[in-house]
Amino acid sequence: MALAQSFALGPILGRFAPGVSRRVWGLAAFVVVAIVAVLILPFFAPNDPFHSQFLHRLQPPGLDYPLGTDAMGRCVFSRLLYGARLTTLSALLVVALAAGFGSAVGCLTGMCGGFIDRVVMRFCEGVSVLPALAICMIISGVLGLGLQAVIIALAAVHWTDYARVMRNVVMVERGKTYVTAAEALGVPGHRIAMRHILPNIAAPLLTLGTYSLSWVILSFAGLSFLGLGVEPGTPEWGRMIAESRSHLREYPRLVLAPGLTIVGFVIAINMLGDVIGDRFRDTRASYFHPKD
Amino acid sequence: MAYRLWVRLTHALALIVFISVAGFALLRLMPGDFVEILLLSQMDGTLPDASQVARFAEANGLNDPLPVQYFRWLGALFQGDMGISLVTRAPVIDDIVLRIGKSMTLAVAGMGLALLIAIPAGILCALYPGGRIDRVCTTMTVIGMSIPNFWYALLLALLFSLVLGWLPSSGHGTLAHAVLPTLVIATSIAGVLARYIRSSLLEELTEPYIRTARAKGLGKIRTLLHHGVPNVVPGVLTLTGLQFARVFDGMIIVETLFAWPGIGRFLVESLLNRDYPAIQGCFLVIATAYILVNLAVDVAISIYDPRAREIV
Repeated sequence: MALAQSFALGPILGRFAPGVSRRVWGLAAFVVVAIVAVLILPFFAPNDPFHSQFLHRLQPPGLDYPLGTDAMGRCVFSRLLYGARLTTLSALLVVALAAGFGSAVGCLTGMCGGFIDRVVMRFCEGVSVLPALAICMIISGVLGLGLQAVIIALAAVHWTDYARVMRNVVMVERGKTYVTAAEALGVPGHRIAMRHILPNIAAPLLTLGTYSLSWVILSFAGLSFLGLGVEPGTPEWGRMIAESRSHLREYPRLVLAPGLTIVGFVIAINMLGDVIGDRFRDTRASYFHPKD
Repeated sequence: MAYRLWVRLTHALALIVFISVAGFALLRLMPGDFVEILLLSQMDGTLPDASQVARFAEANGLNDPLPVQYFRWLGALFQGDMGISLVTRAPVIDDIVLRIGKSMTLAVAGMGLALLIAIPAGILCALYPGGRIDRVCTTMTVIGMSIPNFWYALLLALLFSLVLGWLPSSGHGTLAHAVLPTLVIATSIAGVLARYIRSSLLEELTEPYIRTARAKGLGKIRTLLHHGVPNVVPGVLTLTGLQFARVFDGMIIVETLFAWPGIGRFLVESLLNRDYPAIQGCFLVIATAYILVNLAVDVAISIYDPRAREIV
């Protein structure tokens, strides 16, 4: 399987950045292959997901339309495939924004400590216990309801999780012997952060990123179900469910198909998180029995 | 004496001040000129020219420094003035007062049902860890975390109101209307609560006083219920307060889905209509309600548990 083989890319990529362990590179390659696999899904769509044919509305599943057509005569299967790309891209953007900003803040406060650390962490705790969906909705509503607004809103709520985790990880790593050793050797601070600490926290960051991806996907679907984020008619899973609601009694498959797709997708991502988590434990063990 | 409670109270007050500043900033941060949007709705959609905007801003003190405007806005807020809705032209506070009771009923009923499910389930899981009930609970929780609650609510509506015809699928008024919304909210948090009750009970069961109770001849169930459970109540209460965040999130979805006339549905409608004063009002009400619920939980804990009253 391609996904499994991508782990083998680790040692090759490892040559380009010797500081980062090959296993972490293997994980990264694995994730990248999985993402690319999702992004090329629309090329396998049998029909145009935007093209509505009123002569073919509400067709049952068949050879031309693998999952039938919706109330506008659009191919449900093709729309699901396009939705996969839209959802994945948006969710990745949210995770990238949240992870980038959150880990930067977390690392900085972890390194600074003291008063700044306490204030920032109290703020992050405060934000992460608030009703996330409500806050996201209000932020995106004020920003103008579009896809961009929803992405910013989700990231604005979600970065605090990264800040908290990264701060704790940095606090732990800072006290370890290898950091003291690097300091004793006179390595400058930024180099310690980039070359010594970062490779060691890359794996937990990757694990957290995977799990938060599934949260973002569920929230994104919920927001577009409520009519925020994407325009009506966009092939997005939450939107598809909202648009098929009035046909729930006669054509439950129109609601079932996107819903099952979301559930399957989220479960797959959570399993990916488990795989990465297991690998992460492997890298930990390899400190004692170095193989690479 | 109740020092810890005072600390909590100060935190809650600080949070409410923060929320009010954020709520005030909401209207100033939105794209486009705030004054222009206000005027636009008052003049039935005709675009106001620059002199009208300037005159309106001057007359309503919108050219004053922001802190001055904030305190004026806060003063009005304390008198129950949340501004005028851009859509209905009625005071926002009237719309909110009309809906808040219905939302609170739903939230309290949802949380109550969740606790009714989670407490027995959690205790049973802790009595037989690794047993059949425990495994079922774990599986349900894991599945529950992967299912979007709006889809799950639709499936329940499909089963109970469209296929079986037992319950109405939307509206409010009778008890039957409340069953599906309450069920969706309750089941979306029951899993987390049950898992927490299970794990905190299991941790409590390793304490020496449990061993003493068993050694003096108390049965397993009696030990658990009379010695274990009372000690995990404060933790469960805290989590219950925090889970109200999930309840409020679920409420927005459920009220929209089942046409329940509460704050959540009002928020969605205001968002789609770009009714900014109404959005601001909903934000203030939801955030303040959440802070007050958690403050109430802290008070309840300090009444229940004398240790929580100690000076920290």
